[in-house]
Amino acid sequence: MVHITINGKVIKATEGEMLLSVIRRHGIEIPALCHHEAIEPTGNCRLCMVEITREEWDGWKKHVTSCLYPVEEGLIVSTHTPDVIEIRKTILDLQLANCPDSEVIQKMAEEYGIYKTSYEVVPEGDNCIMCYACTRICEVLGRSAISAVGRGHRKEIAPPFGAEPPDCIGCLACAQICPTDVIPWTDRDNTRTIWDRKFELISCKECGRQTIAREFADYLIEKRNIPREYFEICDNCKRSELARKMGEIVARAQEVAI
Amino acid sequence: MRIDSVDKLNHWREKCLKKRAAQKRKVLVCLGPGCLASGSDEILGELKKILSEKKIKGVSVESIKKTGCHGLCARGPLVVIEPEGIFYSRVKKSNVAEIVETTLEKGELVEKLLYKDPSDEQTIVDYKKIPFYARQQRISLRNVGQIDPDDIDDYIASGGYSALARALNGMKPQEVIDEISRSGLRGRGGGGFPTGRKWATCAGIDSDIRYVLCNGDEGDPGAFMDRCIMEGDPHSVLEGMIICAYAVGSREGYIYVREEYPLAVVNLQKAIDAAHERGLLGENIMGSGFTYDARISRGGGAFVCGESSALMKSVAGEIGEPRAKYIRSVVRGLHDKPTVLNNVETFATVPVIINKGGDWFASIGTETSTGTKAFSLAGKVCNTGLIEVPMGISLREIIYDIGGGIPEGREFKAVQTGGPSGGCLPADKLNLPVDFDTLTEAGSMMGSGGMIVMDNRTCMVDVARYFLNFLVSESCGKCVPCREGLYQLHGLCVKICEGKAVEESLALMERLSKVIQTASLCGLGQSGPNPFVSTVSYFRDEYLAHIRDEKCPAGICRDLITYTINDKCTGCLACIEVCPVDAITGEKKIKHVLDQEKCTQCGSCYAVCKFEAVDIE
Amino acid sequence: MKFRFEVNPSLCTGCRTCELACAFAHAQNQKPGRSRIYPLAYEPDKYVPVACLQCDDAACVKSCMFDALKRNEVTGAVELDRERCIKCMACVAACPFGCALLDDVQDEIVKCDLCGGNPACATFCPTKALAYKKI
Repeated sequence: MVHITINGKVIKATEGEMLLSVIRRHGIEIPALCHHEAIEPTGNCRLCMVEITREEWDGWKKHVTSCLYPVEEGLIVSTHTPDVIEIRKTILDLQLANCPDSEVIQKMAEEYGIYKTSYEVVPEGDNCIMCYACTRICEVLGRSAISAVGRGHRKEIAPPFGAEPPDCIGCLACAQICPTDVIPWTDRDNTRTIWDRKFELISCKECGRQTIAREFADYLIEKRNIPREYFEICDNCKRSELARKMGEIVARAQEVAI
Repeated sequence: MRIDSVDKLNHWREKCLKKRAAQKRKVLVCLGPGCLASGSDEILGELKKILSEKKIKGVSVESIKKTGCHGLCARGPLVVIEPEGIFYSRVKKSNVAEIVETTLEKGELVEKLLYKDPSDEQTIVDYKKIPFYARQQRISLRNVGQIDPDDIDDYIASGGYSALARALNGMKPQEVIDEISRSGLRGRGGGGFPTGRKWATCAGIDSDIRYVLCNGDEGDPGAFMDRCIMEGDPHSVLEGMIICAYAVGSREGYIYVREEYPLAVVNLQKAIDAAHERGLLGENIMGSGFTYDARISRGGGAFVCGESSALMKSVAGEIGEPRAKYIRSVVRGLHDKPTVLNNVETFATVPVIINKGGDWFASIGTETSTGTKAFSLAGKVCNTGLIEVPMGISLREIIYDIGGGIPEGREFKAVQTGGPSGGCLPADKLNLPVDFDTLTEAGSMMGSGGMIVMDNRTCMVDVARYFLNFLVSESCGKCVPCREGLYQLHGLCVKICEGKAVEESLALMERLSKVIQTASLCGLGQSGPNPFVSTVSYFRDEYLAHIRDEKCPAGICRDLITYTINDKCTGCLACIEVCPVDAITGEKKIKHVLDQEKCTQCGSCYAVCKFEAVDIE
Repeated sequence: MKFRFEVNPSLCTGCRTCELACAFAHAQNQKPGRSRIYPLAYEPDKYVPVACLQCDDAACVKSCMFDALKRNEVTGAVELDRERCIKCMACVAACPFGCALLDDVQDEIVKCDLCGGNPACATFCPTKALAYKKI
């Protein structure tokens, strides 16, 4: 257990915890775009920056991304100093120039009083903010089917060589975690298309409803040792099946009673 | 021959020295990048051809020695004849026969190839007396340009691997670290972190594996110190690395070299192979029981891979992107193991410190920046080339005394130190002593040692635009302030160059710069706005001239200048010939006319005119 | 101290109080769609309450690649950590009883969490067909 001071209040935290979780747990709102509990922090978006100092630093302070800074005994954190707010404002301003159509960014910028970007809108921009959430979640799955490609402003998220990603299993984790919803995918009939690759969706044996991609199921069967038959019917039909079985038990019990 | 003890090394050195003494006459041909580009390999070939055919007393093909960069690149290709140190510059293939006949056969000088001092037209024969060389003090560059990089025995003859022998036999690892700490050596890659402290930290961490890496990813435009060391004296880097490995207890490491330095890769590989063969690298070095092996890791040439954490990722085969370093890479570096990463020049300096002692090194330079520093002198300076000077020397001494001042009698305007993310210092900072702290205080930085001199025909806004453009394309793109911020900063700078900016832009740019500096993830971003910040603080008037008056005082920014032909025009037709868009018309001996509609402001006419008949406004 | 959630289907009258109680407990409204317990008819007019069985070797926990499903050792419930869930649907597909599902109105995965140790359904079940007992 360590003690840190956040905005003047002494707070207890567990060693190894990152500042951002501690700050948020205590009800202080800090914006972040690239942070997600399911993935390793990387500090791409820089929005969660806070100012830290220590008593023995004699007034010297520095700015760190709270998602990546572990709590330390005696740390003094300020989450909303003018400098910190200036950083967040500028970053949101830049992001707004980069993806003016993104509602997520618009909303966040508005919270910091920015309604129109001070900069030139980036031509041919998409709403990708390069947070790497997609590549990181794919890494958690052990697939790394997509990756950041290129450098600087031309950097993009793409499968290897821009072709159909051979390691993709069609799980949609990347599209689901994307904070600005820029990864396109479709489910049509029993085919899922993502990263230009097509996946067969499992159809429920009972009702025909589509569930997850066959390759994702195969992956779970292999990696997590889940029986194949679990994936063959949809959750709806599985519940009805459970009800039917329970009904049978009730009926049998009543028969016995009679 | 395998060297498996210190005695054997000494014995072998004696032998090499004897061989060297037997061959007094040496013809050194510089194969540094500058000379090579102007055809020194042809000179070498011609020399070999002639000497293999001719019989001259005391001279044979054996006398020829190809070396790394000799230093005075502006005068290349260079041929130096030992033992006298006769310095022949701007040698052409056609001069070789004359050199052989006159100097090697008759012992006379080829006057036209000798160095003439521009200030007093005095001819200087011995290169050591040329001001460019005379004022230098070479430690990390001690062998560069002097020895054959491919010949390990030449290195050994020059005292090579004696520091390693000294360290392995008779010094405890801690003593090596203490010696380096005492020398006050600070990292030559740009950060200036005390090397001894870095090594001590690494050695102090409990770990089964430690790595020693060499950063050869020199990527600053106009910087070539590390390149010249890797190409011209690869063994000194290796020796430094092995000593470091011994000190911190590492068994393996990598030299990270960019693919753009093919000769450095080749020479380093040859050096590694040769050191292996001699038993100076690999298992049981010099019979001491200590084992260390180094391999080359080739980088793709991304500027950001010079940043420590990005470099380590690149070595590990991942995307070369920096990570946030709340845990320093010396604690958790390559493959998450403690790692010492030093730059080429730092490692090349280490053997000298071990041999001559930390106190000796600390006696050179200033109190906080000890020793010497190599610089590559480039831009608008007479003696462009590779130099090494004691820390604390003034910029003026470097630029005027060693560099020979500004060519064509133009005026000095600024000097850019520290690479693209360094800063430009104006004339009133010329007396500043060059050391880590002073340069940082002045708004620039030491960086890895690139030094670009600019004259009054340089537009500072254009300079900022150029370097920002470089940084925008070299930003890894991971974090927002650097990727988006530098992109926007560059965009605003371009607007100023085009005369489309408003005065408020400057304030916006300054605010943006501050955020990029504090909020970026790695050093590239944190120092990214420096080209703008330093130029706007020292040359604000020039920015304002672009914005308010839509004028480029230096006559560089195309959209803000017009070329006109004045009455000095003699009608020589030269400009008509070079104009790529046929904007100039006229006849011989009649003043030419420039069509402003067609003119693209390329400046070709201005450059070609011998009569100052083209005006820029 | 350990608890067990018990269902006695023969006592179920199909009154659907559990459904309303669950929806209210989890979404502060009484829309049956928000419920994590599902009274289903196995014959016309004959109902059983279907809800997560908190399996010992739970397929949902195994299927989650992001450690978003974890067992609460006190209540015995497999709980969903919304902060870690990315709605990849693995648990929905893997649960053999169909008791983890996507609520597409709230856009989140829902499954029974035993209300943190005080299940509303059991509290309000008028016939005690649902019970949360000490073991």
